[in-house]
Amino acid sequence: MLKLYFLLYYEFLKTGIFAIGGGYAALPFLYYMQSTYNWFTTDELTNMIAVSNITPGPIGINMATYTGYTTAGIIGSIVCTSAIESAPFVFSIIIMKIYDKFKACQSISAIFNGLRPASCALLISIGLKLLYQTITYTKQEWSFPVQFDYRAILLFIILILPFSFVKKRPLLVILMGAAGGIILN
Amino acid sequence: MKNITLWEIYKIFFIIGIQLLGGGYVILPLLRKYIVEERQWLSDEELVDYFALSQCTPGIIAGNISMFAGYKVKGTLGALSAILGIISPSFLCILILANLLKGVTDNQFVQKAFWGIRISVIVLILVTVKDMWKKSVNSIFTYILFFTVLIVLLIFSISPAIVILLSALAAILHSKITGGKNA
Repeated sequence: MLKLYFLLYYEFLKTGIFAIGGGYAALPFLYYMQSTYNWFTTDELTNMIAVSNITPGPIGINMATYTGYTTAGIIGSIVCTSAIESAPFVFSIIIMKIYDKFKACQSISAIFNGLRPASCALLISIGLKLLYQTITYTKQEWSFPVQFDYRAILLFIILILPFSFVKKRPLLVILMGAAGGIILN
Repeated sequence: MKNITLWEIYKIFFIIGIQLLGGGYVILPLLRKYIVEERQWLSDEELVDYFALSQCTPGIIAGNISMFAGYKVKGTLGALSAILGIISPSFLCILILANLLKGVTDNQFVQKAFWGIRISVIVLILVTVKDMWKKSVNSIFTYILFFTVLIVLLIFSISPAIVILLSALAAILHSKITGGKNA
């Protein structure tokens, strides 16, 4: 058990350091944990993302708490939540101490120029993998031959069509998905 | 600002945390209302500076900007109170919801609903990507980087930390070669 706590702390510490650009940036890290350690299933992962979206608080914190809780109970949730914020806490204190020097962050913005597209690519690869798994009934990445789940494809098209409209309304998208799930099954 | 107690900082950030629904960007108007306008703990310029800074430092944006603001008010302990305040509502809500869900996951209706919600989540991911794409992929270098990373990720299973590190390296090399122009 102790080993599991350490491993959780280590993985979420890494997430806190490398997840750049908004709450969803933590997602590729969770997906990686799923495929590496099998702490939870991909279905549980998407449930966690959905719940994190509709509960108050930063999405990244919500996902850390939920993953920790699913994997190792209350202590697990404390471990993951504190892990994801420990590195940023130290960075923030240091940055504030050298604030005036840091303000000229030219070289840093050059680095971020490369990190944002990478972060974007990480996220879309997860989106595509999850989509593939959902519409083909498979649990592994890219397995062949496949059988298509036409209900899933239909629901996906219904939800994705009002693309720009769904942007700021995650709650509505989730409710529509839930309704669609009940109707189509 | 010696007269502000840590408890007060914790309380204000707790109240902000409760109202924080859907992503880091929502926090800016909340901080402006509670910290700049109602309490004058920060100036508006400081808040905007911290917001920019919180996006180019590691970690969750909402967490980062809270720690900067908390530090400004009362040093390291202020930053700690602020981050604990922001985390607490989120932590409690998740624990409650996770427990509620545990009790109903065997229910057929809930299972059907979650089957649909799974597709909603994929839609939300793709919409987020679309937004990120507009802000981040806008030059030859970023196009090349984006598609290289995407193709590699679709074929191999690599730790995201390594992807981020290598991309940072590529960005540094690129800015060295172009001399910072076009960055």
